[in-house]
Amino acid sequence: MSLLQELGAQLRATADGLPTGEMAVAMNKLRSAVELLRWVQEESSQDIGVARLGHAVEHTETATAALRACEDAIDRYLTVLGLAATPGAAPGQEWRTAMRREEDRPRPEKQPDDAPATPEALGPWWQQRVARLTGEAPSSERAGKTGEQGDTSELLRRIAAGVRAGDRARLGRELHAVNASTGLGLSAVTPTVLHRLAGDLLGHDPRPEDVPRLRTAAEGRVKALLPGTEPHVLETLLDRICRVPVQQQQQKRGDQPPGHPADTAVTASVLTGVLLARLGRDAGTLDPSTPEPVRPRPEQAEESR
Amino acid sequence: MASVAELRAAVEAALQQVTEGQQAIQAAREKIGEAQQSLAAALDGSASDAVGAAHASLSQAEQQLEDSFTATLAAVEQAHNYTASL
Repeated sequence: MSLLQELGAQLRATADGLPTGEMAVAMNKLRSAVELLRWVQEESSQDIGVARLGHAVEHTETATAALRACEDAIDRYLTVLGLAATPGAAPGQEWRTAMRREEDRPRPEKQPDDAPATPEALGPWWQQRVARLTGEAPSSERAGKTGEQGDTSELLRRIAAGVRAGDRARLGRELHAVNASTGLGLSAVTPTVLHRLAGDLLGHDPRPEDVPRLRTAAEGRVKALLPGTEPHVLETLLDRICRVPVQQQQQKRGDQPPGHPADTAVTASVLTGVLLARLGRDAGTLDPSTPEPVRPRPEQAEESR
Repeated sequence: MASVAELRAAVEAALQQVTEGQQAIQAAREKIGEAQQSLAAALDGSASDAVGAAHASLSQAEQQLEDSFTATLAAVEQAHNYTASL
């Protein structure tokens, strides 16, 4: 390898090592937190930090754009050196970081003894919401109890398996088994995965004009598995996947208040399973260590149903 | 009308998401630091505009992430004050 090729490989490795996955995780976690706090703020009419967290999201978005600019600058330099073809990592792999299991992530500092009460002590409202959405009551052993803290990405895989099997009872069991914190976390894990799956189904990056096509592909099955979900929850998720401008989303929604955070989290997880099924993939492909699936042409993917 | 338990659980879940977001931000900042060192070592002395742009972009990303982290700290404090008042 010549010195120039070595430099090209080094620069490509630097570009591949940029934290795009971590940034996507940070963005989705913060957006999910904003959504939850906004709902609380509307219910309680108190300022509880939504605006400040909104600023954090904006800073993270700007940082993400700066990273993209850095990647572009490195690409330009490689082109100047005549090394534009230096192979790099496959694009669009941010979902893998989002789907890493809890134990693979850095551990948070231990909470002090006087930490506020955990959600487990707060009553089974998550279970009540799940029952309303799925139409599946908790089992007799679980009735009146809160669920367990768990790994949200693992939960998503289990839900996707239930959806793939078309098993609403199983879906209900999986959702009833976790507590509110774990379940609501689905809102933060799903965006990059949904964007990716929708892109694979469409054969291109989802665009605003793709909303009707995705709606046709998913609406019936989502409704069958979640008879209690409101149509606007799915519509909002599809708008976000397809990057419909926020102003247009607000126009579509009108005066309708934002959905309950649990509705958004559960519907997003079911939509993930539905898109996986449409692609003919099983829930195991959500494991971040699995190799890239072979992508059929979109029309083939839809014909295979 | 949401119950106190529902509101508290939603705030707790939001704070959990913020904590994980903060961890991701810190991990990203570490990687950006490594990328800055790696670029400096590989391209020391280069006068290329593209190299300058790459360095500037990384510095901007680092600064924005620091501002984001600071904003999350203020938001967390405000949310804690709210739950304490419930």
